[in-house]
Amino acid sequence: MKTHPVQIGSLHRELPVITVAPGVAVALLNLLGDTDLTEEAGKTLAALLPKGIEVLVTPEVKAVTLAHVISRILGIPYIVARKTQKPYMHQPVTREVLSITTGKPQLLVIDGFDIPKIKDKSVAVIDDVVSTGGTLRSLSALITDIGGTVNATLAVFTEGDPREDVIALGHLPLYLEK
Amino acid sequence: MSNETYTLIIGDLSRELPLVRPTPNTRLPLVEFLGDTQLSQAAAKATLPLIPTDTDMLFTCETSSIPLVHSLAELMNLPYEVARKRRRPYMQDPIIQDVQSMTLGVGETLWLDLRHAEHLRGKKVTIVLDVVASGGTISSLEKIVVRAGGKPHGRVAAFSHGQPKMDIQVMQQLPIIALD
Repeated sequence: MKTHPVQIGSLHRELPVITVAPGVAVALLNLLGDTDLTEEAGKTLAALLPKGIEVLVTPEVKAVTLAHVISRILGIPYIVARKTQKPYMHQPVTREVLSITTGKPQLLVIDGFDIPKIKDKSVAVIDDVVSTGGTLRSLSALITDIGGTVNATLAVFTEGDPREDVIALGHLPLYLEK
Repeated sequence: MSNETYTLIIGDLSRELPLVRPTPNTRLPLVEFLGDTQLSQAAAKATLPLIPTDTDMLFTCETSSIPLVHSLAELMNLPYEVARKRRRPYMQDPIIQDVQSMTLGVGETLWLDLRHAEHLRGKKVTIVLDVVASGGTISSLEKIVVRAGGKPHGRVAAFSHGQPKMDIQVMQQLPIIALD
C-alpha cells in the first residue's frame, strides 16, 4: 500500500494513502487508537496555543482525544460539536457542513447547555486535519452565532492548499489523479 | 422537577448530573465524558482495576466513550480501537455489525475498517464502554472482535443504568428513577 511519511515531535508514522472519491486520495491520519501520537501532537499544539484562549471547540469524532489532551495539559475546557442531535440536548444550535472525507452534507450541533461556556469567550477550534476548510467555516459560523470569537485554529496537519490561518504541525498533500 | 440532579462521586471528584427522561415514567442521570477531562481521568483511574491484567488491547465504539478509553489506554500503555457508527468513504472491506439496542428498540450499525480490524487478530481484547444498559452494544462489539479473529477477554463499563443482564464489570451503578 502507498503511504505518506510524517513526523510529529519524536514520532514517525506512515499514513496510508486512501482513495476517498474518484480521482482523489488522501494520506489518512487516525488519532483514535494511537495514544502516543495523540499525546505528542497534543503536547506540541498546547505549547503553540495563543495566549488568552478561554475554551476549545472540536468537531466530533477524530479530534476528540486531541482536544482532551490539550485541555488536560492547559486546564482549558473543551466542547465537542456533535454530528447528530441527541434527544437529551437542550435547545441545540446547528449548521450544515460539506466535508471531504464524508462526501455528504453533515450537521454540526452544539448543545444549548454548552452555549454559556462559549458566549463572549475567546475560542480556539481544534481539528485533526484541515483540508478544504468546510468543517472549519461551518464550525466558526456556529461559534459566532452563539456569541463566541474564534481567535485561533489548531490542527495536526493542513492538507491540499497551504493555509496561513491554521496553526499546524505539518502539511499533507492531496493526491489528485488526472 | 427539571432542575433535579443526581450527585455522582468518584474519589474526591463530584458532579451534579442532569436527569434525562428516556420514557415518560423514568429518569436517568446523564454522564458526559466529552468535554470533562477531570471526570474522564478520574473514571479511568477507578475503572482500571476492572480491566483483566493480561489484556492486549481495548475496544470501544464512538463517541462518548472515547475520552475514557483514551485515558485508560494512556494509563495502562495499551493500544485501543474504535468502532464507528457510520461508514466513512475511506473504509475498505469494513466489518459491519448490527446492534440490537433493547433500551431504545432501535437498531444501530457499527463499522470497523479492515485496517483496524487487523489489529485485533489474535489479541486478547477487552471491551470498554462509558455506560451500559441492556448490554446490546457490548454483544455487538464482541461479535466484531470474533469476526476480526480476536479473543473477547473482558467486558468493562464505567457506569451502568440498573443491573446489567449479562456479566459486565461495572465501576459504579447509576439509579433508574421510576416515577408514579
